[in-house]
Amino acid sequence: MIPLSLLIMSLLLSCGGAILCLLLKNREGDIRLGGSGVGIAAAVAGLASGLTAIGAGQPAVLDAAGPYPFAHFVLRLDPLAGLMIAVISLLSLVAWIYGFAYVREYAGRGVGAMGFFMNAFIASMMLVVAADNAFWFLIFFEMMSLASYFLVIFDQDDEAVGAGFLYFLVAHGGSVLIMAAFFLMADQAGSFDFAAFRAHPLPAPLDSVAFLLAFIGFGAKAGMIPLHIWLPRAHPAAPSHASALMSGVMIKIGVFGIVKVGIDLLGASAGPAMLGWGLLVLAFGAVSSVLGVVYALAEHDIKKLLAYHSVENIGIILLGVGTGMIGMALHQPVLAVLGLMAGLYHLLNHAVFKGLLFLGAGSTIFRMHTKDMEEMGGLARNMPWTALSFLVGALAISAIPPLNGFVSEWYTYQALFAAALDGTPLVKFAAPIAAVMLALTGALAVMCFVKAYGIMFAGAPRSHHAEEAREAPAAMVAGMAVLAVACVALGLLAPLVAPVMGRIAAATIGTAPVTLAVGATLLPGDAQQATLSTPLIAILLIAMACLPIALKAAFAAKRGGDRKVAAPWAAGYLPDHHMSASAGGFAQPIRMFFAPLYSMRQAIAGRWTGVAHGFERVVTLARRTEPLADRNVIAPIAGAVDASGKWLQVIQAGDFRIYCLYIVAALIALLALAV
Amino acid sequence: MLTFSHLILGLFQALLLLAAAPLVSGLSRMVRAKLHTRHGPGLLQDYRDIAKLLTRQDLTPPNSGFAFRLMPAVMLTTVLVIAMGIPMLTRFTPVAPIGDLITVIYLFALARFFFSLSGIDSGSSFSGIGGSRELTMGVLVEPVMLLSLFVAALLAGSTNLGAIGSAIADGHVRSATATVIAALSFAYAIYIELGKLPYDMAEAEQELQEGPLTEYSGPSLALIKWAMALKQTVVVAWFVGVFLPFGSAPEMTFFGLLFGLVAFAIKLVLIFAAVGVVENSVARVRFRLTPQHSWVGVGAASLAFVFYLVGL
Repeated sequence: MIPLSLLIMSLLLSCGGAILCLLLKNREGDIRLGGSGVGIAAAVAGLASGLTAIGAGQPAVLDAAGPYPFAHFVLRLDPLAGLMIAVISLLSLVAWIYGFAYVREYAGRGVGAMGFFMNAFIASMMLVVAADNAFWFLIFFEMMSLASYFLVIFDQDDEAVGAGFLYFLVAHGGSVLIMAAFFLMADQAGSFDFAAFRAHPLPAPLDSVAFLLAFIGFGAKAGMIPLHIWLPRAHPAAPSHASALMSGVMIKIGVFGIVKVGIDLLGASAGPAMLGWGLLVLAFGAVSSVLGVVYALAEHDIKKLLAYHSVENIGIILLGVGTGMIGMALHQPVLAVLGLMAGLYHLLNHAVFKGLLFLGAGSTIFRMHTKDMEEMGGLARNMPWTALSFLVGALAISAIPPLNGFVSEWYTYQALFAAALDGTPLVKFAAPIAAVMLALTGALAVMCFVKAYGIMFAGAPRSHHAEEAREAPAAMVAGMAVLAVACVALGLLAPLVAPVMGRIAAATIGTAPVTLAVGATLLPGDAQQATLSTPLIAILLIAMACLPIALKAAFAAKRGGDRKVAAPWAAGYLPDHHMSASAGGFAQPIRMFFAPLYSMRQAIAGRWTGVAHGFERVVTLARRTEPLADRNVIAPIAGAVDASGKWLQVIQAGDFRIYCLYIVAALIALLALAV
Repeated sequence: MLTFSHLILGLFQALLLLAAAPLVSGLSRMVRAKLHTRHGPGLLQDYRDIAKLLTRQDLTPPNSGFAFRLMPAVMLTTVLVIAMGIPMLTRFTPVAPIGDLITVIYLFALARFFFSLSGIDSGSSFSGIGGSRELTMGVLVEPVMLLSLFVAALLAGSTNLGAIGSAIADGHVRSATATVIAALSFAYAIYIELGKLPYDMAEAEQELQEGPLTEYSGPSLALIKWAMALKQTVVVAWFVGVFLPFGSAPEMTFFGLLFGLVAFAIKLVLIFAAVGVVENSVARVRFRLTPQHSWVGVGAASLAFVFYLVGL
């Protein structure tokens, strides 16, 4: 029960923090200190809760009656929920550390409200993953969407409000589908408890219907293509530490939902249809990963670029999850564990590096007051720590060995390889194609992050602001440093982390764990298939780096002189910063070569804006019809009441003798009635 | 399992290749001179160039940062590490935990990352365009590499480069046609990766002043020149190790290794001579048209995949 009590402690602290932020109202300095302090304490408790839940063999369950007779308030901490709680807590820990300095950007614009919504957002996410009852799950899911909606519209400008509206629409459209899926299952089980869902599985055609509803509903939350359209608008609009939480954690709740419904609730009893589900998830994952990064490349707004990368990484996670589901359908436990484990590992990794990158972007925006990369440039000189952390994040998200992004992508490749090796013909066909899509994604991601880091931090400053930028405040640097260290640690310590992920996957699927590491070597269940050792790669890289250093040093004595500064060659003209690479020019070849994919985005976006416009029209219509009802129904009634009141005033003459007469008359009337 | 002697073999192999790389690039220069009916500078010219550059002064553009300074060392280091994982003298990979096809592709991405980043960091427009092109070529080539190697790996049942090579050398592959087509498409991808004409895009000498190399001088340029020669050798060794492993040592014996070394050297010389002939008999492809060329690679790799699926 330790994990549960820690979780409840964390939740209570979050509630306390939320109330504190509201009570302190205008004392912003105290809100920053108190809010961050309580937030950090809540996050530490949550992290401890998550880690102990992963470590514990049995799931911890809390069953309370709650106010509603039809829905018990059940919290269940299995290893999967533990992982999610640990991820949420890690990111919120960093967000609170970072926010301590960052919210000064929002001074005088309701820092207290921001603290309140951040606390509510974090607590509701924790409750979503821990809830073991469909009713409460949906309640907390809605709370999460609402709290994040208020963070999206925090800036209150047109872009933020528009983005918030779209987000609101998609989030609620999604939750309606999820609700429908849960109602189907509840109808079969006769209860809203997930335990009952597991005990009374849906019969054959209905389970596919329920899965599809849940997949689309949670997919909208996860931001997979073509339901992603809200993501690149909503995430950039929120304050950067909230963007880090939304992109790093909240969209993972969508993936968690897909795993929960597809594997935990329906998977154990699903028939051959499950192969189709797995392939569907795989296909959506492959398309999301490639298109996400292709669209990211064309962006100049750093936060939009990062938001599109979230779409890409959700795709990569879904590749792993889909392979896991294929493994379950084919009754190959090793493949199932390998696939799901790859997905979960990437989920954790993406939370860490995407959180880091959003915070890095937030630090530059904090100093530059613009999101446009073209106005930055050369920031590494004045913001060295921010630059270094961002570089670590950029290398990690580009899956460069030996960092963490590479390890989880390697496992994804290995899962796809294992599926291609002994699957049904359809799987043999699909898995290598997914692997090629992943390779394309990887190459494009490298390009995108060379561009992002290069244009923002390298080269010459592109504006006056960039020249004068200063390093971000210590608290913000500390927040980024925590995540940068986590990126390196999750990569180099992969031989310790991978087996834990494997245990979580095995517990979720309900099979025996798979050997994923021997000593410092990683292997996908079978050492014959492949091996990898990130610590060894790191050691060899460091050892081999001695060679060029020694070579340069050996010739230092003979050298003609020290390093000298000289302007770059500009074909005889005077070089200026307009000549160096720009964000648009750098990605231009890809925009040219992949032009059809960009025009496809226009088509998808057009469809969605059509939907949004439709809703706006409904709202306008409602606004216009509102006075109609007023005039025809409410106004006449109000008028009649008014008139009758006037008429009744006649008997109210003000003379007390007349009132006495009324009383006597009433008494006589009553007596007459009684007799 | 990885033993100490494997590690030593890997180290030996990497250093041997490092020592031989300027010879290989010298060979390319010699072939070019022969085709131009010139005398040429001789086989050892690149050693002399490197030695000379190492003693010259280093120049840095005023706005460049640490990415520009680190790149030569990062590039040489990364390619050296890759060289330890690829089977060359032996059938098996010397350092198995880095001899995985995915790891090798992504380690090349590490070199590519810094190579292109230094292009932006230098502030020169030539370097920036070169960096962008280098990454674009990566986007076009990596999927072809992965698919062709993936087909061979599926036939061998392992993604370890040595295991794939051994399976091909022993004839333990189910589908010979698929293997041959996969080898051809991989060879094509490798040729593009070499950065030679007609695909000399990123370091185009006449067009972009050698792209990201534009602003380098002195010891930094020496390291990059050396690293690029090494990279070309390693890339060819990668192809040889997987698809032409004939003559390499199945076990780690002295004579086996010696024989493997001779066979490897002969294969390398033959391939670079052939590459030299191709390189000097074609003109550069227009950059805008490269996707049409890379589609050929994609098509060939897909064909190999289809043959694998059918089992021919």
